[in-house]
Amino acid sequence: MPSCAIRPDEPMQGRVWKFGDQVSGDDGIIDFSAVRDGFGKPLNEELLTRMCFRRLNPRFPDEVQAGDVVVGGVNFAHHNHVEVSAAIRFSGVAAVLVESCESGFIRRALSQGLPVLTVPGITARVQDGDRISVNLAKGRIVLADGSVMMAPVLSPYMLAVLRAGNLVAALQQEFLGVS
Amino acid sequence: MDSTHGQTMAQKILARHAGRERVEPGEHLSCVPDHVVTQEMNWPTLHRNLGKIGVKGLKRPDKVVIVVDHTPSAATGSPHAGTHHLLKGLTRELGVDHFYGPGSGLRHLVLVEKGFARPGSLIFSDEGNIASIGAVGALNIAMSPDILVPLIKDENWVTVPHTVRVDLVGALPFGVSARDIVQTLLRDWGQGQFLQCCVEYGGPALAQLSMDDRQTLLASTFHSMSDTAVMEVDDLALAYVDARADGRPYEVVQPDPDAQYQRRITLDLSQMLPMVTVPPEQTGAQPVETVAGLRVDQATIGSCAGNRLQDMRDAAQILRGRQVAPHVTMYISPGSREVYAQAAREGLLEIFAEAGAAVLTPGCNTCWGYLGVLSGQEVSITTHQFNYQGRNGSEQARVFLASPLTVAASAVEGRIADPRPYLRSSMSHALSRMTPGQP
Repeated sequence: MPSCAIRPDEPMQGRVWKFGDQVSGDDGIIDFSAVRDGFGKPLNEELLTRMCFRRLNPRFPDEVQAGDVVVGGVNFAHHNHVEVSAAIRFSGVAAVLVESCESGFIRRALSQGLPVLTVPGITARVQDGDRISVNLAKGRIVLADGSVMMAPVLSPYMLAVLRAGNLVAALQQEFLGVS
Repeated sequence: MDSTHGQTMAQKILARHAGRERVEPGEHLSCVPDHVVTQEMNWPTLHRNLGKIGVKGLKRPDKVVIVVDHTPSAATGSPHAGTHHLLKGLTRELGVDHFYGPGSGLRHLVLVEKGFARPGSLIFSDEGNIASIGAVGALNIAMSPDILVPLIKDENWVTVPHTVRVDLVGALPFGVSARDIVQTLLRDWGQGQFLQCCVEYGGPALAQLSMDDRQTLLASTFHSMSDTAVMEVDDLALAYVDARADGRPYEVVQPDPDAQYQRRITLDLSQMLPMVTVPPEQTGAQPVETVAGLRVDQATIGSCAGNRLQDMRDAAQILRGRQVAPHVTMYISPGSREVYAQAAREGLLEIFAEAGAAVLTPGCNTCWGYLGVLSGQEVSITTHQFNYQGRNGSEQARVFLASPLTVAASAVEGRIADPRPYLRSSMSHALSRMTPGQP
């Protein structure tokens, strides 16, 4: 599954994959073995995409499409190494919208070019399979019924990293002038 | 925003390092750290990424601390031998003088023992449990692959956390330790109530906790999913710092009396009991008697939540003159060379050896399943940080978390055991040997 480009400045539309509260990252979204066996090595895209969300929804690895959106509950992806956000990003997911999560998940995900927004109340208003759109720069989310929810706006730096594609790409632009 | 109220410790430390008078929760800042600390296993990736962005040097190599702690000895066929080799050369090339090689111990301990973390310090690190440095009033902000940014730019973004204040009151009962406190805290507050917060500890009962106990409390607080944790600085902490600062300056940061907290919790230590956290959640702490009697195959003392001198002394108090049960394998990993050497001077290593435990090189070792892995449906009781499926080897194995006292008692009994009878027995034995006329 090729990753989709993140376009922070325009509405991105995708199918919702909805998950619950207190979902563990290392021991839920993926298996910890991917972390333990992968330390020091380049991220294993094939392994991580095959593993991603399999334990929570076995259909996810086969059916997720580039541009889809993950909606998660309270304390989503707790205990997560970077392999967790890499797995979600490699799967083609364009944004993760959660009731709440730790700051570290937002930071690790950003390094992989995956935007994570905290949107309290969202799990009550979307269903698995809904099509919604997300405008990252405006923090504006349009739900399947046309109603709108707002998320805290990402910082200019975060948006710049997302526009570049990921952290390393952003640093390449800064230090090498690569566009 | 209300700019009239006082500031918490985290707000003050972040404001200072952002060149600001005051900051508010939720603000995105760019902060300049006092030190940037990383462990060895992140360096193959960091090295590759330095190459990709064409950067040949670090902005402030004098601020960088690199510690080999996850893989203190590389086994046959291990890729980590290559990492050790890489770092020996790369640190010379990059001018990183603060490189601590295999056997030095954990970043957490090196930072305080070598005086890098001091009151008011801001440390950017690659792991959340390095919040243990909050025991000296230093603030850890954990990064991810973006630890690369402060390495090459001497700054990175931080979102100012809210602060949860935890006031410790009451006297800790016999046979109960800091590990039991934090396991209880996680049971009651570990479902996400501290998300995107700094946990600030203080209160009158802080004084009865040793510096080692304080670091245990802080190191495990990150399982509450807080951003970080910190502690008020008292005379005990200052004495510890002054013995290690080697003339380097620091400025004590205390919270304002009218600081605004998202939540304020009073924790009565007199109500604490020896606890065992049942897998697979961090919130699964139960009084030891509810799981006592469960047969264990392995017992380990180690990890950033249980590898300091106090932990070694606690384990030795139980193991002195006793034997680890024949069916139990026991590993003990001192947290640093300083801890290892002092444990040797105090005769603790001799006690461990005679009890039948294996003492490993200072490092993370068993905590992340690098050494001493579990097989099949084995059961482990440990001072490790994590208890989830597959953390220590087999996906079917079960990992129970407890204090060094409870782990050592369980190792002797071969089953999960309450340490208090063992402690009472040890104490009465010691008293019986103190006959009149003898020192």
